[in-house]
Amino acid sequence: MNPPAIAITNLAFRWRSADAFCLELANATVNAGKSLFLHGPSGSGKSTLLNLIGGVLLPTHGSVSLLGQALGELSASRRDAFRADHLGFVFQQFNLIPYLSVLDNVLLPCRFSTRRASRVGQPEAEARRLLAGLDLDPTLLGRPAAELSVGQQQRVAAARALIGQPEILIADEPTSALDAERQAVFVELLLSEAKRAGSAVVFVSHDLRLATHFDQSLALNA
Amino acid sequence: MLMIRTLLLSILLVLSSPALAEDYRVGERLTQRKATPAPNYREIEWDDLIPKDWDPMAAFKGLNMSRLKDSDPKAIEALEKMKAAWAEAPVEPSLDGKRVKLAGFVVPLERKGDAVLELLLVPYFGACIHTPPPPANQIVHVVLKKPAEGLKTMSAFWVSGTLSLQRGDSSMGIYGYRMTGEQLDPYPLPKGMK
Amino acid sequence: MKPLLHIALKSAWNRRLTLGLTLLAISLAVTLLLSVERIREAARDGFAQSVSGTDLIVGARSSPLQMVLYAVFHVGEASNNVDWKSYQAIAADPAVAWSVPLALGDSHRGFPVLGTTPAYFEHYRYGDRQPLGFTAGQPFSGLFDAVLGAEVATKLGYKLGERITLSHGSGQLPGQAHADKPFTVVGILAPTGTPVDRTVHVSLAAIEAIHLDWQGGAPIPGVAIPADVVSKFDLQPKTITAFMLGLHQRSGVFRLQRKIADYRTEPLLAVLPGVALDQLWQTVGVVEKTLLGISWLVFAVGLAGLAAVMLASLNERRRELAVLRSVGAGPRHILFLLMLESLLVTLLGVLLSLAVVTSAAWLGGPWLAAQFGLSTLPLALSLGELRLLAGIFAAALLVSLWPAWRAYRLSLADGLIPRL
Repeated sequence: MNPPAIAITNLAFRWRSADAFCLELANATVNAGKSLFLHGPSGSGKSTLLNLIGGVLLPTHGSVSLLGQALGELSASRRDAFRADHLGFVFQQFNLIPYLSVLDNVLLPCRFSTRRASRVGQPEAEARRLLAGLDLDPTLLGRPAAELSVGQQQRVAAARALIGQPEILIADEPTSALDAERQAVFVELLLSEAKRAGSAVVFVSHDLRLATHFDQSLALNA
Repeated sequence: MLMIRTLLLSILLVLSSPALAEDYRVGERLTQRKATPAPNYREIEWDDLIPKDWDPMAAFKGLNMSRLKDSDPKAIEALEKMKAAWAEAPVEPSLDGKRVKLAGFVVPLERKGDAVLELLLVPYFGACIHTPPPPANQIVHVVLKKPAEGLKTMSAFWVSGTLSLQRGDSSMGIYGYRMTGEQLDPYPLPKGMK
Repeated sequence: MKPLLHIALKSAWNRRLTLGLTLLAISLAVTLLLSVERIREAARDGFAQSVSGTDLIVGARSSPLQMVLYAVFHVGEASNNVDWKSYQAIAADPAVAWSVPLALGDSHRGFPVLGTTPAYFEHYRYGDRQPLGFTAGQPFSGLFDAVLGAEVATKLGYKLGERITLSHGSGQLPGQAHADKPFTVVGILAPTGTPVDRTVHVSLAAIEAIHLDWQGGAPIPGVAIPADVVSKFDLQPKTITAFMLGLHQRSGVFRLQRKIADYRTEPLLAVLPGVALDQLWQTVGVVEKTLLGISWLVFAVGLAGLAAVMLASLNERRRELAVLRSVGAGPRHILFLLMLESLLVTLLGVLLSLAVVTSAAWLGGPWLAAQFGLSTLPLALSLGELRLLAGIFAAALLVSLWPAWRAYRLSLADGLIPRL
């Protein structure tokens, strides 16, 4: 039995200078290939949680284990490498490096992780495949990322997060900047591609309407 | 802010290259202090270059100065004789071939880029400009074995090498001192000078 | 590190307008620094090696520097001449081993003409006591014979047997040519890298001959003495410009120098070439240090500008840095990325300067040599210049740490999601 993709136990985080905990999460588990919808109002510690899962921050109490590896046991640079190898991120906006081309942006994770690069085989071909799967116009590949519309940028971000089949995909309000008709389409595209790769997905959003797309749902308290 | 300050400081340090001018006065001689003992060289002083039996004041012997009138030709003649003797100053033959170490002020003669190949060593500061030139037995013509860097006119150095006597004018047979400069050490500035 | 280089390049290119301005400032400063260093070294080498084995240079009393400049470098003019009798008297001193008289004042197509005796070719030394050598011909023997320095022959395309005319003074005013008395080239000297290369050498008697029918710097109107009858006149020079002395014993130089200074008949000055050049060097050294100081300041300004541009851009780059962190970059990588960007700009600035300095040396070197008697500027980098470049990069590295460190701290604090 494989360890769960994400295993969170008794998690609590507090900034050193603060008195109160800004995040408390008792338990959360996401298995490979499953998706989790995380919702909560602003101030409920969503950014902190994402930083903890990403290995950028270490918890004050409790632990975060990804793929059976407790992040607290790794040094900072090992955590960075772990993140490069196993995680993909999509943010709400400004996902892309504006002066790199669309293709370069998608290929970024392969530059930082040889493991992901080796899984891909032919990086450029894979990038094209992903973008096509996400319904992006292929002529945009060589353009600087800054020239794309928000919707197009989000899809490029998704392709970047998915290239090299990372085991975990984290999406932080990726649809909030999109208009309503496109939101559902985007979520579907993202989840189908993630399922193809067998990745576990954590999707953070304040929009409860989207929760139906996901296997699990969890609320963060303020 | 700290970065800019550090940068400026480092630049200032680089720029203030050590152009330490010796603050000697014209005619000043080097105080005889013991150098770091060099095993192969005998440390000598400028007086050692003058033969013991030479007395430039010989012309004045027998003259009772208080008895002479003003502008007495005998006195003038004695002075001229003394000056001539000073000009023909003989060398000390026993120093020929000896390995010695002598401190003095340098006058570079030949250069190769920044490095000096040949120089004259004199006993006092400003010897080439303001004061009467030293007599022949108080100047050493040094030919360096290896070109030496960092020598400026009238800088002070210990020069170590082998002394030899050199024939000068063909007619008058004046000798002079010559040295192969095997080692050059800067003469340390006394405390209180820049 | 390789992915960072690619990103750094693209990032710097993206902000090429602002970075380009700091690049220009840095490039300007480095050009200044390199130029000063290169000219200083060329001048130092050129000056030092121009005269060797000469104990004293004697001329009319003037500034020692001025005398060395015209006697050795044939640049500038003597304020006064030396009487031939004085020259003979001093040359006869028992301490003197050899003497060479020098007469300056004429030119040939911009190159100075030196009147001297054949002893010049025997006693003149340069560099490390190198004697003069001939690539063709021999020293002058006939009255109107001329020996050319290597550069004169090359520049003007002269060969042995060529007929040339001399001009009075610098030859720039019309009617100053000694057209009626042409000279024949009988010798061409090997290149020396000293002012000898740029000089036309003739005999003292010839200088007298061409000025026989001249007075006060111009031909006497109505008087013309043709070339074939000049030998009937007394061609012993009355005055010369200066003379060089070599002694039997180098340590006797001060005595003779003092003697010449005390010479009653005429106000004369004798200088030790080495000492005079040292003095020249001290003066030049002050100018050079000032120039270097200013150049370093300009460089500091350029670096400060670079740091300012990098710092100013940091705020808007926080999201971009967060994206990089999300794909696996650590704060360390962010630090290196920013340092790389700064160093890339500096490197480009340095390369640009090198290109400018090298082409300037190639184009302007010959002109500088003609104007100041320097040997032509080297095109390759010297050790001193390499050290300078090392210092430049070290300074750039230090300064680049500042915005890089700030980005490091920001990235640590921001993590994946900057709070903006």
